[in-house]
Amino acid sequence: MSVSHLIVELVLMPLVAFVVGLGMVLMMRKIAARLQRRVGPPFLQPIYDILKLYGKQTQISHGMIHEMGIIMAVGGYIAAETLLPVPGMDGLADKGGLVTLAYVMMVPSLGLALGVGQCANPNGSIGISRALTAMLAYDIPFILVIFGVAWVYGTTNLADMIAIQQQGGPQTWGVMQMPLLALAGLITLPAMLGKHPYEIYIAPAEIATGPMVEMGGKFMGGLFVMQCFQIYTVGVLYTTLFLGGGENWLTFLAKIFAVVAVPMSIAYLFPRYRTEDVLRLMWKWPVLIGLVGLAVVMK
Amino acid sequence: MSAEKSTINRGHELQVEVGQKRTNPLAHVFDDLMNFCRSRSMFMLHYCTGCGAIELPPAMTSRFDMERLGIQPMVTPRQADILLITGYVSIKTLKRIMLTYEQMPAPKYVIGICSCTVNGGMYWQSYATAKVLKDYLPVDVFIAGCMPRPEAVIEGLKVLMEDIKTGRANSWKKYFRNYDHYLGKQQQLFGEAWQTPTDIIAEARRYDLITDQTLGEHTALLEKHQQPMEALEMRLQGPGEKQPL
Repeated sequence: MSVSHLIVELVLMPLVAFVVGLGMVLMMRKIAARLQRRVGPPFLQPIYDILKLYGKQTQISHGMIHEMGIIMAVGGYIAAETLLPVPGMDGLADKGGLVTLAYVMMVPSLGLALGVGQCANPNGSIGISRALTAMLAYDIPFILVIFGVAWVYGTTNLADMIAIQQQGGPQTWGVMQMPLLALAGLITLPAMLGKHPYEIYIAPAEIATGPMVEMGGKFMGGLFVMQCFQIYTVGVLYTTLFLGGGENWLTFLAKIFAVVAVPMSIAYLFPRYRTEDVLRLMWKWPVLIGLVGLAVVMK
Repeated sequence: MSAEKSTINRGHELQVEVGQKRTNPLAHVFDDLMNFCRSRSMFMLHYCTGCGAIELPPAMTSRFDMERLGIQPMVTPRQADILLITGYVSIKTLKRIMLTYEQMPAPKYVIGICSCTVNGGMYWQSYATAKVLKDYLPVDVFIAGCMPRPEAVIEGLKVLMEDIKTGRANSWKKYFRNYDHYLGKQQQLFGEAWQTPTDIIAEARRYDLITDQTLGEHTALLEKHQQPMEALEMRLQGPGEKQPL
């Protein structure tokens, strides 16, 4: 592959991720609205929100680290997008692999923690400590799952994984070969998205949206952009590991939207879990199922 | 004082007229796009001071669903565009409203719901109630009624949407242009030593919104009484314990 080709891919992949992520945010808000028997937001609502936030006249910055934190939060996900293969574009997937991706996906939370730290708002500090604890909770089953998947395919290269699954057809998809690991991954998914019922670190009525409490204008806009990337990353990663990636753009989009729709459809059934309950739940069920799944695949 | 005079004069030269637009044709397009986005994405901070607050949950949830107009509740002033003041405002509450309003990022809009925010309503004879809300901060839209039903609230929000789209909702500039007047009214209620953490005069200078009404006798009084804001002392102290040295 030539250098210019690679550069085009590195620019295109985050852009595509952003556009698809906007669609996913819209879908999540629509699902929530329909479940509550509302009409929901109009089609372009996520774009209106982001444009308006960037167009605010007052941009209240609390200092250098506050701004760097947002850049880290968005930049971490932009780096992650270049490691995730999409139909027709592999980007850096050959060179990065699953371990790099798992590492890069932690950068946004840490960046957010830095940025919130400089805001010096107690609500923000409470929120970010809860967010990092939640990260500790879902990272254990997440690492178990990606370890099991890498063991089965014999590689940590995401492009190779997709090739293996697509050569064998649907019966070789991860979800057929290791259903227990896929289930553990599915239970971990809503916690990684930070949606209901795992949104104790946002908790609008109690700690005033936690990490976002001092964010206004372009800082909030940056977080909205980050959310698009976050949802996209989680959806694409699950599709790549268990659903055979995308043969073409049509099946790819259908799969990633379906993956994100599943946790959103059951989200409002449960009340919000407290931090220690999130920890207990995550370290009990997905870890248990994941360990049994590991035992099955490793025999 | 002479330094202040000079800034007043500078403000006069650079003063931006209401409704005045830039000359670049692309700037018009951009302004119109931003105004459209602002009107379609309004984050509201509902400051629930009185009975009108009870009409907001039905306006937000399944029955009337504000989200289809792009209106969402937000919880901190930093994130909000609209400040909804839902009902009568006692003097103690008004202090909190002023703190909240001044912390909101511009462009910001205020909606007064219920008759009490218009003229005091049934609290007209109360000694502890601020009667006319627009004396203390500029209000974009009033929604009268005791209490207005959710349909009326949404109707009022639609009026504001239209105003923002056409660029008429500029009341936040009024606060900077006539700061002396608003501050004077606030000082009448809260006393001469009233001050907030937000430096309104510096912000007005930043936006070139300083007029000869921005500074005056009341801002001079503010300057006289102003004390530098200091961080609160951090203390970890249980009940009945002496503070450790």
